Amino acid sequence: MATAVSVPARKVATVKRERAVRSTASRWRLFLGIFLGLALIGAVLVHVWLRLQVVRMGYVLSTTSKLQTRLEQENRELKVELATLTSPDRLEALARQRLGLIAPEKGQIVVLP
Amino acid sequence: MRRSSQRNHRRLWVAKGLFLALFLAVGGRAFQLQVLQGDKLMRLGQRQHLKEWIVLPKRGALIDRAGEPLALSMESQSVYIRPHRIQEADKVSHHLAEILRLRAAEVRQKIASEKPFVWIKRQVSSPEAEKIQALNLDGIGMYYEPNRHYPQGQLAGQLIGFVGRDSEGLEGLELKYNDYIRGETGSSVTERDALGRRVLVEGIGGLQIPPGSDIHLTLDTSIQHMAEKELEASVLKYRAKAGVAIVVEPRTGEVLALANYPSFDPNNYTKLTAEQRRNRAVTDSFEPGSTFKTILAAAALDEEIVGKEDLFYCEMGKYPFAGKIIHDTHPYGWLSFAKILQVSSNIGFTKIAEKVKKERYFKYIEKFGFGKVTGIDVPGEVPGLVRRPEGWSGIDLATHAFGQGISTTPLQMVMAYAAIANGGFLMRPYVTRRVLSPRGEVLLENQPQVVRRVISEKNSKLLAAMLRDVTNEGGTGTMANIEGFEVAGKTGTAQKADTIHGGYSKKRVGSFVGFVPANDPRLVALVLIDEPEAQVYGGVVAAPVFRNIAQGALRRLAVAPEKATPVSATAKQMDSTTPRMVKRIEAHAPSHIDADAVPSFIGLSFRGALEKAQTLKVKVRLQGNGYVVKQAPAAGGRWTDEQTVVLNLQG
Repeated sequence: MATAVSVPARKVATVKRERAVRSTASRWRLFLGIFLGLALIGAVLVHVWLRLQVVRMGYVLSTTSKLQTRLEQENRELKVELATLTSPDRLEALARQRLGLIAPEKGQIVVLP
Repeated sequence: MRRSSQRNHRRLWVAKGLFLALFLAVGGRAFQLQVLQGDKLMRLGQRQHLKEWIVLPKRGALIDRAGEPLALSMESQSVYIRPHRIQEADKVSHHLAEILRLRAAEVRQKIASEKPFVWIKRQVSSPEAEKIQALNLDGIGMYYEPNRHYPQGQLAGQLIGFVGRDSEGLEGLELKYNDYIRGETGSSVTERDALGRRVLVEGIGGLQIPPGSDIHLTLDTSIQHMAEKELEASVLKYRAKAGVAIVVEPRTGEVLALANYPSFDPNNYTKLTAEQRRNRAVTDSFEPGSTFKTILAAAALDEEIVGKEDLFYCEMGKYPFAGKIIHDTHPYGWLSFAKILQVSSNIGFTKIAEKVKKERYFKYIEKFGFGKVTGIDVPGEVPGLVRRPEGWSGIDLATHAFGQGISTTPLQMVMAYAAIANGGFLMRPYVTRRVLSPRGEVLLENQPQVVRRVISEKNSKLLAAMLRDVTNEGGTGTMANIEGFEVAGKTGTAQKADTIHGGYSKKRVGSFVGFVPANDPRLVALVLIDEPEAQVYGGVVAAPVFRNIAQGALRRLAVAPEKATPVSATAKQMDSTTPRMVKRIEAHAPSHIDADAVPSFIGLSFRGALEKAQTLKVKVRLQGNGYVVKQAPAAGGRWTDEQTVVLNLQG
């Protein structure tokens, strides 16, 4: 036989309040969980992005380093070429043959007063 | 309801078991890969994605005192093969032989080799390298190697030396300073991708190896060039075997030029013999002959045994001494000490040596640095041969007096004269001013270094004045005279010892050593011509070479002549060479010069204006180039306080 139990109205209100508090807390926990999950995914994505950036920069650095080496080599080649072209032996031959220059004769050098 | 709950429970256990099994399988596999086979797999992986890059050493440069490079390094490519990877040997050998201009049979033989790595050709040219790369055949590779270039060719070849294929200095300064110049070899392990491209994820720190240090020399390329050119001309003209020319700054001991003939181009060192590569200025010693008389003269003056005007009887050309007859080329009677030096009398010097005595003479021979290396920073220097006076026979005093029975290197001789030129100090010669690291740090620096005082300043001046007479009228070295300058020096013609039969041969060594300007020397130079045939006398074969080298060197060092050349003579001489300019000068030259009024310079060339200023003893300041278009103060105007005419040139 069913017995009707009368529950005082005050107690009912307390239970409701407790339930509401509990549901708010669980909602916060859910939010926190989602937030942590997203943060983790975000951190992983940032890590992957950084890793990709490192590799990309590695390629850029490699290309630039190769360019630097090539330019340095070119610079050395140009230095050798310049020095070869301006060697006294060659300059003298050119000055004498092509330009018809001669060594200054006596008196052609004027000393400033 | 209970049955359904039990089923769910079972399923859950099955799922749990399945996941556990999978997890164990993955874990087990991971354990196998990471722990059991970890090292091996890591090695295999690294072999694929890591590569060691070798950074070749970059050799430093050799640079002259004006910054002109004498030796530079570049990278060039060398071709190698891995014979076992070559598929079509005939085709490959044909291609390689054609591109590299080699014999096909030779290449074919290399391909047939059992070795895993064979060089085909070292240091190929850029077009050849490009063609080889275009072939794109398996088993053929290119390797970057450092390659040394000497852009000035044969200039100072013997002094600079050369490096071998492996970038190691083998001779000359390249050998002497190898540790500084060489640079370091480095290596760096970097990642590479699937296509073999380098990915520098760790940065480029490991690949940046500092190059070798640069050597800054005291040499002057222009003076060196003049010395080599003049030396070669004389050696060829007089059909000599070899020659040496050295130019040194007397106050510091810095070597400005050190020339050898036969010349040597370090770019082709393999094609030349050791004989041609020898730096005779330091590795060969000669009996100096009359140039050594100056050493006895210095001893006599410094010991105050003989005065400049003391008279000696020169026995009319024949003087019996210690059982031998001493001869002079010309018979002389009474001569003063100065005159004896001027005419280079053997008899006169024998008599001076008798007064100085052998112990004191030997003391000066040693003080002047003979018999010991000078300490120059060039490899292979020899000390020459000087015997102690205890071992001298009777005749040795006389032979030493005129430079026989003793051997010296050309460098020792030039440094002895430098001591007379600089007021009596024997200096240590050097060719390297400093060694600079790539970051600009001074790693080594040579400063002028006094070895010792040899004679007093007063006596060095006196001796310099006596040596000046040698190049004046009546002396043996008149052909060394330079217009506008006083030259002090001494000629020498030495007989060469006969190494086979003993005694002396008919071969001669002609030399001249001197300094200029005599009263304030800026350079001291020696010219030595070995075994000339057409003419043998130092005054003929070597003195003109000295004159030409010294003249050019003085111009290069911007030393103004002591004795001004009259401008009228200049204009007259210029007539034949630059008629246009002279006409222009004449056209604008005033007919008479008013002493008080400012003269006109309008229309004159730069040179014309300078000459006119010199003639009129007027101070001018020139601005611009071309012809004078404006002057201040104006022509005919009054002088300002500065007494200077400012000339503006254009055109």
